Amino acid sequence: MGRPGLNRRQLLAGIGGLTVAGSIGFAALGTGADALASGADTRVRYWNLFSGGDGYNMIAMLDAFRKANPGIDVKDSTLQWGNPFYTKLAMAAAGNRAPDLGVMHLGRVTGFSPGRLLDPWDMDLLAKYGVREADFNPKLWKRAVIDGKLYALPLDIHVQLCFYRKDVLKKTGLIGDDGKLVPVTSVDEWFGMLKEAKKVTRKGLQTIGLWINDQNFQWWFFVAFYTQLGGTWFNAGNTEVTFDVDKATQVLEFLRRHVADGYANTGMGTVGAEQFVNGTPFTWEGNWSVPVFSGAKLEYGATPLPPVFGKQATHAESHSFVLPHQAGRGGATNEGAHRLAAYVVKHARQWAAGGHIPAYTPTLSTAAYRKLEPQHEYVGAMNHQANEPKVWFAGSTGILAQEVGPTVVSSTVGSAKPAAAAARMRKQLAELLAMKNPMDGHTAAQGGAVA
Amino acid sequence: MTTTSAETVIAPARARTAADSATVRRKQGFQHGGWFVAPFLLLFVLFVTWPLLRGVYLSFTDANIAGDTASFIGLDNYREALHDSMMWDSLGRSAYFTLLVVPCITVLAFLLAMLAHHIERGKWLWRLCFFMPFLLPSTVAGNLWQWLFNSGTGMVNYVFGLDTPWLTDKSYAMLAIVIETLWWTVGFAFLLYLAALQGIPGHLYEAAKLDGANAWHRMVHITLPMLRNITGLVVALQILASLQLFDQSVVMMDFGPGPENSTRSFVQYTLEEGFTSYRVGYASAISIIFFVIIAAVALARMWLLRNREEGAR
Repeated sequence: MGRPGLNRRQLLAGIGGLTVAGSIGFAALGTGADALASGADTRVRYWNLFSGGDGYNMIAMLDAFRKANPGIDVKDSTLQWGNPFYTKLAMAAAGNRAPDLGVMHLGRVTGFSPGRLLDPWDMDLLAKYGVREADFNPKLWKRAVIDGKLYALPLDIHVQLCFYRKDVLKKTGLIGDDGKLVPVTSVDEWFGMLKEAKKVTRKGLQTIGLWINDQNFQWWFFVAFYTQLGGTWFNAGNTEVTFDVDKATQVLEFLRRHVADGYANTGMGTVGAEQFVNGTPFTWEGNWSVPVFSGAKLEYGATPLPPVFGKQATHAESHSFVLPHQAGRGGATNEGAHRLAAYVVKHARQWAAGGHIPAYTPTLSTAAYRKLEPQHEYVGAMNHQANEPKVWFAGSTGILAQEVGPTVVSSTVGSAKPAAAAARMRKQLAELLAMKNPMDGHTAAQGGAVA
Repeated sequence: MTTTSAETVIAPARARTAADSATVRRKQGFQHGGWFVAPFLLLFVLFVTWPLLRGVYLSFTDANIAGDTASFIGLDNYREALHDSMMWDSLGRSAYFTLLVVPCITVLAFLLAMLAHHIERGKWLWRLCFFMPFLLPSTVAGNLWQWLFNSGTGMVNYVFGLDTPWLTDKSYAMLAIVIETLWWTVGFAFLLYLAALQGIPGHLYEAAKLDGANAWHRMVHITLPMLRNITGLVVALQILASLQLFDQSVVMMDFGPGPENSTRSFVQYTLEEGFTSYRVGYASAISIIFFVIIAAVALARMWLLRNREEGAR
């Protein structure tokens, strides 16, 4: 009696074995079955932190890239933003399993061990795909350069804005003939404006939504107004703290006054945007709220944070493309990553719909961008960015914000005196300056990954 | 009694055979049992013993999250921890939370168990209501109470006519987490008490009644003494669980440290040091310190219990 024919169990086992072997084979080749299925020669693995409206816009841009570049398949993964994202990216780069392209906040790049966890951009390749330094705001570009090499390709800047309800304020005289908020140049003018606005504010609403209890927002507002006063953080060599306690006290008193004078409410510290939709005249929010407010069909405008200390400056961060470290970076995949990043940066009109200001300056002068309101009203923020200092412990939701943010909050809510909080901030900055960067074992003063 | 020579010869042989077969059984039992235990042992070594030993090693290094530049720095991490005010603050917060939660949960679980034990109508419904929150994942319970405590739109303020900033003011934030924890976890202690109450023999109460003991006397002289062991167990388990405060607070505070750092627990601080500040070596050192503290609490509780039992004897 001969061997029976292939039964169902053997067939399934055979298919399973082939699948596993195939997967291992694809993995070894550095490509995937999905890339082959799409007919693409190259697959670019891309990690980002964009969800919500940003996620929708990014996916639309990726789809446009896929259509324009059928030879490149983009395998995009969206991970939770903030520290979980940075932890995953660091561990993937350290374990040589990094994606081909990633996104980071520009302020975090310095602390992300450029040269070890990040690879520099190939300027020739970027130039080949039409990206040149001259097309970017110089301050933005300079922040991305470390030890003379470009480690981040800026996609946008996102800023803190003063949103205002035109329909609520029209009876007050605070809206000029051009339909925009009348300019403010001093603290007194600003509080005079709030006093007027309070008269037309519906009962139960705040005059301004301020994220009073949020350590990140309060810190961002502090950075903006401290920069307006010309305040500095450290000396050029990062060896000494130059933080000015008097200027900081002035800023903290200014923030505190909103609560003390009854324009903002600690009990409604995190519902500024919701209240704005319901009729609160002002709210200070990130530009990412533009799609929310536009979606609600509000009659509103948005300016950079008011220059109450005489000089324009609003807090700004930037989403940037990075190349997470790969031992054998190069070849078609690396070229694909450059091509994809250059494409998205240059086609950021879609991205601007999410409220962000495109970093690629030629976009800003296009007719399509000029038509965007209120985006076009605050585009000037690109030229007066207030940033965190360029040290390893700074950047979005980084150690600096984590340490100093609660101190700002304690002053704004009234549980610490502004002068005492300012002195404490100086002490915290000195401690951070003396702290060693765990990535390279150096303090900021000892150099490390600082330009 | 006398024995024949034949019996004398046979007896040791029987004994030997019996001993041999016991050994064989033990060996077979070990072999079979060993196979049953092996998967657990493997997982235990892989996910508990090895990480623990690795953690001890890392605590003597300056390892970062990338892990490839670690160098041995002796006791430096431990020396730094002794002067780390953030660490002591977070430890104090975990201890404060424990002090608030443990007595409340013990008393509440006892009262609920008494209620469910004595009530006649709808007994199953009471048991279900008290125990069910314990079945919820921590994220679900945390999110639920985050909504309830929302100062603008939350039901707590609405129902009680309050204007309390539960989650945004440092005076209330920890209290909000305590209330959520009580609701979420009381079911387990409640179940232990209920089982213990059902185990108290009914004749004790009958005898006491015949002797004229009223309800209060029966509670003080029968119920509470009979529940002493279970109370010890509930307190010990709650102390160990509460010291490890993490999920409730991070979910309710949106993964932040709470208003002015008022809810940052020790476990959260350890996580931040390791995964935000990337200081894996230092995070390992403070987690070892925490391990020692928790072990000391557990040993102290055992020692107290043993002394009390010996005293009772």
